Amino acid sequence: MIGMNTIKTKITRMQVEGLIILLVAIGYLWEAQNVPLLFQTPGVPGPTTFPWLLGIVFGVSGMWLLISPHKLIARYRKKAADEDEDAPEAPAPSGAAFGKIVTRDWHFYTIWAVILGYLVLMPSLGFPVATALLIAMFVFLLGEQRWWVVAGLALAATTVIYAGFALGLRVRLPLGVLEPLMK
Amino acid sequence: MFEHLINGFGVALQPFNLLIALVGCLIGTVIGVLPGLGPTATLAMLIPMIFSMPPATALILLTSVYYGSMYGGSTTSILVNIPGESASVITTIDGHKMAMQGRAGPALAIAAIGSFMAGTFAVVMLTFLGAPVAEYALHFGPAEFFALMVFGLATVASLTGTNVTKSVVTTCLGLMISTVGIDLVSGVPRYTFGNPFLQDGIDFVVVAIGMFAFTEVIITAREVREGTRAEVVKAQSIWVSWKEFVYSLPSIARGTLFGFLVGMLPGAGATLSTFIAYNLEKRICKNPELLGTGDIRGVANPESANNAASGASLVPLLTLGLPGGGATAIMLGALMMLDITPGPLMFEKHAGMIWALIASMYVGNALLLFLNWPLVNIFARIMTVPAKYLMPIVLVISTIGVWSLSYSEVDLILTAGAGMLGYYMRMHKYPVEPLILGLILGGRMEQAYRQALIISKGSNLVFLQHPISLVLLIGALLFLFLPALLARSKQFYMARKTSVEAA
Repeated sequence: MIGMNTIKTKITRMQVEGLIILLVAIGYLWEAQNVPLLFQTPGVPGPTTFPWLLGIVFGVSGMWLLISPHKLIARYRKKAADEDEDAPEAPAPSGAAFGKIVTRDWHFYTIWAVILGYLVLMPSLGFPVATALLIAMFVFLLGEQRWWVVAGLALAATTVIYAGFALGLRVRLPLGVLEPLMK
Repeated sequence: MFEHLINGFGVALQPFNLLIALVGCLIGTVIGVLPGLGPTATLAMLIPMIFSMPPATALILLTSVYYGSMYGGSTTSILVNIPGESASVITTIDGHKMAMQGRAGPALAIAAIGSFMAGTFAVVMLTFLGAPVAEYALHFGPAEFFALMVFGLATVASLTGTNVTKSVVTTCLGLMISTVGIDLVSGVPRYTFGNPFLQDGIDFVVVAIGMFAFTEVIITAREVREGTRAEVVKAQSIWVSWKEFVYSLPSIARGTLFGFLVGMLPGAGATLSTFIAYNLEKRICKNPELLGTGDIRGVANPESANNAASGASLVPLLTLGLPGGGATAIMLGALMMLDITPGPLMFEKHAGMIWALIASMYVGNALLLFLNWPLVNIFARIMTVPAKYLMPIVLVISTIGVWSLSYSEVDLILTAGAGMLGYYMRMHKYPVEPLILGLILGGRMEQAYRQALIISKGSNLVFLQHPISLVLLIGALLFLFLPALLARSKQFYMARKTSVEAA
């Protein structure tokens, strides 16, 4: 319309999240169609009734975040859009910015990698070895420089926890690589 | 009722149950003292360990940890200016000022006394309200139960977080996760993608430990790298004068009452209840300008409110099977794992267990008063243990908890996924409690929904034709729109925003 200011659009994180939520909802509803309807009586809710309801609500919520109609209305009325209690939304990171984030926060990602590695490898490595390594690396990453403290804490904590849970509470903790030694 | 209560005391005062209550109170107090690790994560970690216990004993342990943490949270608020629990944030304002003025002792004493009085009030109310509410709820049919659960989820969604849409998203996500597995009615697999490990569904403990314990460890690890450790003030004489006690009594009474009333709402939780009670106190009390300057009422009121609220949240849990927040949602999950169907029939079918629990809460409140009053300096010293040593221990114990459920590697991977998702949600203000609640209630909610539709021959109007169901659904809608309506109220807006930031 002549005279209307052009609206600058910037994709925000919330909109990206809204899009992802919408896509998940579509996937969820799609998969609901693959659920077999065995001996289904007309008028009786089957195994897909509730998922359909949830998927629709989830998808509508995602669309709300994506479009943010209340913000669009506020922008068109040229009011300060301070209805959202969140801090001003950050734009979705670009590729270069993402690289900088990874480099700056390498420590944070290392901690995550240690935790995820522990969860994935604990059954095969065994609880004692995996736990000792986890504790040592975690304590080191959090700033403990004295190697004797790191090693001592790792060994002592692992021993006490293993004794308490495996022997005391009879939780079956895997021995992993130590199993041949125990036999 | 009194006969049941006396029988309950008979069970609660058995030596083993007494010991369990004491252990639970100790664990709860320690958890309350330690910033970072909250009662919800702790309860999630304890669940795998309660399977071998009788149901009454298991519940006694979980509830004593829960309200024990409310007592412990005040210690660090006062001595270190760091709230041990989000519900103790308000206590830091006047509590730490009193400590810096050399009055840490009276602050700690009034916190313990206020907590005891409020906790006891909550248990007395539970005693008198429990059975009548449960009896009334026996008239509920499937439509009413479905509407009740929608109401509960709506209140949680509206009162947690600052963006209702985000809360609805996480609630739906929790409900969607609950649909994974074999459908109990038709026996068909849903969302298993051919994976046999998913046929049993996704255990809420796996998700809860991932989203609370693991996320908390990561957040604390970041804070350890970025923050500095505060100095612990030592309290000399843990005593309060008669004059100060009488001066605090009206604040204790108001904090107890408002904390209890707000705490009964599903989703309000101890944190929001405390903020609302404190804001009301500032409007009602004499000389409100003194609050914030080291006034003992600024400790008495919030500490009473958070203990009253934590007791109040057990009312809907035990009478209606509707949890009030994250911690009570975990307790609900524990009840289901112990093969107890939560709801109004609990007072009929498991009366012995319920009354033993109520009786143990009287005992537990007394134990906590005696633990927290003289031993507070010892508990405060726990704060001096560096988080960098504690956090990996928490991580390992959480992993053991998940592993011991079914000794499955898939559970560990799901926990990792839940931890990453939980971290993202915490960082970008998507509340986690509605997700856990949705996951726990999803199965029962779907069952009630389908039963109601079967009775009405497929007509969704059944939810509007039953008066109780209609009222609850209208209430749910009102609560979803409540934040938008009350956003104009600066008081409520600030209370909600600050409580979310504190959590």
